[in-house]
Amino acid sequence: MADIRSLPALADRRPLTSPQVTLSALPEGTVLQVIAGPKTPDLTRLAGEAGLVARAIAPGQWFLVGNRPTAHQDMRRLLAMLEPDASGIDQSHGRVRMLMEGPMAAAVLSKGTAVDLDPTVFPPGTTAATLVGHVSAHLTRLDNEAFEITVLRGFAAALWDDLALMCAEYL
Amino acid sequence: MTSYRLPQGGLIDRSKPLSFAFDGKPMLGFEGDSLASALLANGCRLVGRSFKYHRPRGILTAGAAEPNALMTIGRGARTEPNIRATMQELHAGLEARSQNRWPSLAFDIGALNGLLSPFLGAGFYYKTFMWPAAFWEKVYEPFIRRAAGLGKATHEADPDSYDKRWAHCDLLVIGAGPAGLAAALTAARAGARIIVADEQAMAGGTLLSETATIGGEPAPAFARQCIAELQSLPNVTMLTRTTVFGWYDGNVFGAVERVQKHVAEPVSSVPVERLWRIIAKGAILASGAEERPLVFGGNDIPGVMMAGAMRSYLNRHAVAPGRSTAIFTTNDSGYALARNLEEKGIDVTAIIDPRENGGETYTGKARLLRNAMVTDAHGGKSLSAIDIRTGNGTERLKVDALAMSGGFSPIIHLACHRGGKPVWSDETSAFLPPAGLQGLEPAGAACGLIDLAACLADGAQRGADLAVSLGFAATPATFGAIAGDASATPAKVLWSTPGARGKAFVDYQNDVHSKDLGLAVKEGYGHVELAKRYTTSGMATDQGKLSNLNAIGLLAEARGVSPAEVGTTTFRPFYTPVSFGALSGASHGRHFQPVRRSPLHGWAERHGAVFVETGLWYRSAWFPRQGEQGWRESVDREVLNVRSNAGICDVSMLGKIEICGPDAAELLNRVYCNAFLKLPVGKARYGLMLREDGMIYDDGTTNRIAENRFFMTTTTAHAAGVLNHLEFCAQTLWPELDVRLASVTDQWAQMAIAGPKSRKILQTIIDEDIGNEAFPYLCARDVSLFGGALQGRLFRISFSGELAYELAVPAAFGDDVAEALMEAGRTDGLMPYGVEALSVLRIEKGHVTHNEINGTVVPTDLGFGRMASTAKPDFIGKAMLQREGLTAADRPRLVGVVPLDPGHSFRSGAHILAKHAAATLENDQGYVTSSAFSPHIGSTIGLALVKRGNERHGEEVTIWNGLRDEFTAARLCAPIFFDPANERLHG
Amino acid sequence: MASLVPCPHCGSRPKEEFTVKGAALKRPSPEAGADAWFDYVYLRDNPRGGYEEYWHHTAGCRRWLIVDRDTATHQVTSCRDAASASAKEHGA
Repeated sequence: MADIRSLPALADRRPLTSPQVTLSALPEGTVLQVIAGPKTPDLTRLAGEAGLVARAIAPGQWFLVGNRPTAHQDMRRLLAMLEPDASGIDQSHGRVRMLMEGPMAAAVLSKGTAVDLDPTVFPPGTTAATLVGHVSAHLTRLDNEAFEITVLRGFAAALWDDLALMCAEYL
Repeated sequence: MTSYRLPQGGLIDRSKPLSFAFDGKPMLGFEGDSLASALLANGCRLVGRSFKYHRPRGILTAGAAEPNALMTIGRGARTEPNIRATMQELHAGLEARSQNRWPSLAFDIGALNGLLSPFLGAGFYYKTFMWPAAFWEKVYEPFIRRAAGLGKATHEADPDSYDKRWAHCDLLVIGAGPAGLAAALTAARAGARIIVADEQAMAGGTLLSETATIGGEPAPAFARQCIAELQSLPNVTMLTRTTVFGWYDGNVFGAVERVQKHVAEPVSSVPVERLWRIIAKGAILASGAEERPLVFGGNDIPGVMMAGAMRSYLNRHAVAPGRSTAIFTTNDSGYALARNLEEKGIDVTAIIDPRENGGETYTGKARLLRNAMVTDAHGGKSLSAIDIRTGNGTERLKVDALAMSGGFSPIIHLACHRGGKPVWSDETSAFLPPAGLQGLEPAGAACGLIDLAACLADGAQRGADLAVSLGFAATPATFGAIAGDASATPAKVLWSTPGARGKAFVDYQNDVHSKDLGLAVKEGYGHVELAKRYTTSGMATDQGKLSNLNAIGLLAEARGVSPAEVGTTTFRPFYTPVSFGALSGASHGRHFQPVRRSPLHGWAERHGAVFVETGLWYRSAWFPRQGEQGWRESVDREVLNVRSNAGICDVSMLGKIEICGPDAAELLNRVYCNAFLKLPVGKARYGLMLREDGMIYDDGTTNRIAENRFFMTTTTAHAAGVLNHLEFCAQTLWPELDVRLASVTDQWAQMAIAGPKSRKILQTIIDEDIGNEAFPYLCARDVSLFGGALQGRLFRISFSGELAYELAVPAAFGDDVAEALMEAGRTDGLMPYGVEALSVLRIEKGHVTHNEINGTVVPTDLGFGRMASTAKPDFIGKAMLQREGLTAADRPRLVGVVPLDPGHSFRSGAHILAKHAAATLENDQGYVTSSAFSPHIGSTIGLALVKRGNERHGEEVTIWNGLRDEFTAARLCAPIFFDPANERLHG
Repeated sequence: MASLVPCPHCGSRPKEEFTVKGAALKRPSPEAGADAWFDYVYLRDNPRGGYEEYWHHTAGCRRWLIVDRDTATHQVTSCRDAASASAKEHGA
C-alpha cells in the first residue's frame, strides 16, 4: 500500500524541440515560497545549505527551487529555520516549472509577456512575475537563451499549450 | 487587352512573371507589382463600382488611401473583401474580384442609381426612409444593404493563424521614406535600439518612385543602401509590410505586420498577420504626406489619377498611364511627373496650372496652360476628354489619362491619436501635427516639408535630437548632394473648380460630391462633425484620407471662414483597418481562455465525470452510470449514496490560503466578522467575511495549523478575490501587521469524503486514529498516510451534513490517493459525487453558497446574526452593519420552501407572493435562491430570501415564475430539510 | 491597445496585469461615525485631472499600489507602494 505514485502535471506533454526553440517540463522537485517579515533572513546561505536556488519574486518574497523533492522532515526543518523572520510555504506541488531555450526563446516569450527581455534589461538570474498570455507566471532568465517559466499547477497544461502554439512558427 | 507595361525600367523583376486573375480573366504581372500596378499594366482601368451611384471607378492612388480599387481577394475560407488593390502585393495565382456590381462590372444594373441621383443627395437616408417605421427592417434596410454594399465576408472559419507580440525600443521609426531612413540611420549609428516599420513590402517610401539622385546614386539605389546598412546593425529591427495604426497611452504603438498576405498558400505554422505592441521611449513619425485630389466634374472617371500615383506606377512599376496624358496641378509636383512621362516617351498634351506662375523650371514639350483649370472630365468607363477653362474660354482636349495634384496633406493621424488637435497652416495650406507632443516627433513630409533634401535633413536632425534626449551621442547623418529634387513652392489653394457641370467628387468611397457639402451647410449641418455625418464624407473605410481636407475647405468656403475655424474631425485609431484575426491573435478556440485543471481531473475523467465550467475550472458535475436515464437519476443516486454509505467529491478548486506570521490571528480577526484570535491549534472554524458596506462577501472554514500559521478555505468563485482582499487589508489598511499570505490552492489535491461510512474508509489509509474521540467534529490536523509514505491534512468538516472529512494531499499524489480511497471504499459502497449532488446535499441542510451570499445579504438575513461579533473593536464591515436599512425587521430572511403538491416544481429565481396575491411588484415577498429535487423529501425543495421569512414557517405562498408564467402553490418552512438536529455530523 | 502602469517593484507593465480598486482613501476609525463611513464607502470625487487610486499588481508582485493618474490624459504622475505611502482622508 505504501507505493503511492506522483502524477506530474505535464506528464502527457512531450518536449518540443527545434534548433530555434525547445520547450520542456522541468522535474517536479522543490518550490518553497519564502515571505519575509520586516527583517530579511540570509536566504542565499539557507538555500545553499538546502541545495536550492533563491529567486526573488516580489519585495520580501522568494522561491527557493531545486530539481529534487525535499523530504517531509527536511521541509519541516527548513520551515522552522526560516521562522520567525520569514515564513516558508511549500509550493512544490502548487507550482510547475518549464524550460524554454534557444535563439528564439525570447521572441516566443515576447508573444506572451510585456516584460522587456533584452539581456541588458533582463539579465540572467533575474525573475519577473508577469502575465504570459492569459496566465500569471514567473519568468527567470537562466542564461541568454534559456528561461524558466513557473506557473500554478492548475494552469500548467493550458500554459504549455499556449506556449507550444507560440513556438509553432519556429518548430 | 493592350499592355501598358513599358519595355524597361522599374523595380519589378521581369524574370519572374506572375499569373493572376481579375474577375476570372487571366492576366500576367511581375514580381514587384502591386495588384493595382499589374491591373494597370494589363490595361484594366475599370476596377469597381462606386458605393451609392454605382459609377465606374478606376485606380486613383498607389497607396494606403485608395478609395476606389477595393476588391475581394482569395477564395473559399480565405476570401477577403475590401482589399485595396494598391496595397496588395501580386503573387502567383492571386484571384481578385470586383465588388458592388451586378450582374457584372461592365454592365451594372445598380448604375441606374445614377439616374436617381437627384434623390440620393446628402441626408438622403434620413429624408427618404422615414416612414412607415415598420418598413425599416423588412424593406428599407435590406434594399440599402444590397444596393450600397462593400464586399461580402465569407461564412467559413478562418483557416489561418494570427499572432501578437510585444516589442521594446529606444526609438520607433514609423515610415521608411527619406525622413524615416535618415532618422533611423542617425539613431542606429549612435547605438540606440531601433524598430523601423514600413507598410510597404519594400522600404524606401517615395524614394522608390523618385528620379532624383543623391550623391550621384538614383534614389531607389540610395534607399537600398540605407536599408542594407540598417539591416546589418544588431540594434535595428526592420519591419516591412507593417502598418503602425495607433498611438496609445504610455507611448505604446500598435502595428500590424502582414506576414503572409502576399503568398498564395500560407505556411500553416506561421501566422498570416502579427499584431505588434511596441513600447517605445521615443518615436519618429515619418509617415509622409497624402496628395490631394482636385474637385472637378467627372474627377472619378477611370483614367483620372493622383499625379504622385501616376509617377509611382511609371517609375517604380514601369506602367504607362495612357497614350496621351494631361496634368492638372496646383503645385510643382505635377511638373516632375511631366518630365518623367516625357523621358519615357509618353505624350503630355498639356499641363493645366491655376497659378499665374508655376513650373518655371519646366522645359518639356507639353503645352503649359497657366491661370487654367480642368472643369470637367468626360468618358464612361474610361477617360476620353477634358474641358479646360482658361482666360480665353473653354477648350476640350482629347486625353486618355489625367493626373491631378491639389497639394499635399501631411499624414498626421498618429500624432492626433492621444488627443492632440491638428494645427492649420496658411503657409502650407494644410493641417500640421500638433506641437509639443511627448514621445512622438513628426519629421519630413509629415511636417509639411516637400523636397527631398529638406526631408532627409529634417529626419536626420530629429532622429539625432531624440537619440540625444535618450542619452545617446548622436549626430545627424549627412548625405550626398541631390540632383533633380522637387521644388518646394507651395500649392495654390483650390477646393473645387468653379463651373463644373458633372458631379465633382470629394469623398470617392462614399460618393459625396461638392454639392452635398454645400447642401449640408445650407441645411444647417455646417459644423465639421455634423457635415461628416450628414453627408457621410470621411465615413467610409478609408476614413477620408484623401477627401477630408477638401471637404473642410469646401465647408470653409461655404461658411466664409478659414479651414482653421472649421477644424477637423477627431483622428482615432486605427489608421487603416485591422483584421479581427490580428486583434484576437491566438486567443480563439481552446486558446480563448485557459482551462484550470484540478489535480483530480484525470481521476474524475476515469470515473466517467460529466464536467461543468466553473470560472476557468472544469468541475465534475455528476458521474453517470450505465443504464441511468438522464442526469437526475445519477444525481439522486449520488445523493442517496452519500447519506447511506459514503461519497467522494473533488473540492480541490476551493480557494486555499496560508496565513502566517506573528499577526496572522489578528488579521483574521479583523477580516472575519466572527472571532478568530482564540481558535485553538488543530481546530477549524466557519468564518464569515463581510464587505465594508456590511454585506457578506465570502465564507469558508479556517483552521489553525500552528500558533502563527492558519489555513483558510474560500469559495471557488471568490478564491482570487479573497486573496486580493486579504492583501489589500494587510498592505494598505494595516501595514503594521506582520502577516505573510500565500495562495496554496494549487498545492493541494483536496477531496471531501462524506457519509456514515467515511471514517471507516479513511481509516484504512490514515495512520493516526480518526475516531470520534481522537478526531472530533471541526478537528483539523496533519496526518500520515499509507504507513508514513505520505503526509496530508485532514479536516473534519461537512457541507453535506453527514459525518464527513476533507483530505488534502500534495497535488501530484491526489490522483493516486483518490484511487486508493476508491479501492478502500469499494466494499462500503464509496462512489464519486459531483457538484450537482453536492448542491442537493447542501440545500437539504440549508447551507448557503453564493446563490444566497449574493451581495445583498447581511449575516442576520441568513440566520448568522450572532456570528457578527459585538465584542471586537473593529472588523471589516462592522461600522456599516448597524445601519437602519440593514437591521429593518422586514428584510428578506433565509427560509425553506416546498411545493404543496410534491408533483409540482419551481425554479431558482422565481418570486414569492403571498397566497392568492396578484403577480405585481408591490406584492413581491422575495425569491427562490436555490432549488433542487431532494430524493429524501421526494419533491423539489428550495431556499429563499423572503421578507420576515424566519417568522413565516408554515405559511402557504405562491411561487411565481414570470418568465414561464408558472404559479406553484408552496409552503415556507425552516431552511433545513434533513437531520434538523445535526446528529449525523457529530456521529 | 495598451496602457502601462509603472510598478515601483516590477517596472512598466500593461494594465491587464493589474486590478484597480478605486479611490485611494484612508479607512476611517471604527468610531468615526455614520457620515464618515458613508463617505468612505460610497461617495467618490470624479475629478478631471489627477486622481489617486489603489491598483493591485495581481499578475506581478501582488503589491497594492497608489497610482496617481490624470483622468483626462491617463498620464501616471506617480506610483508607489501603498504600505509605505498613506492614503488621503476623504475629501482631502
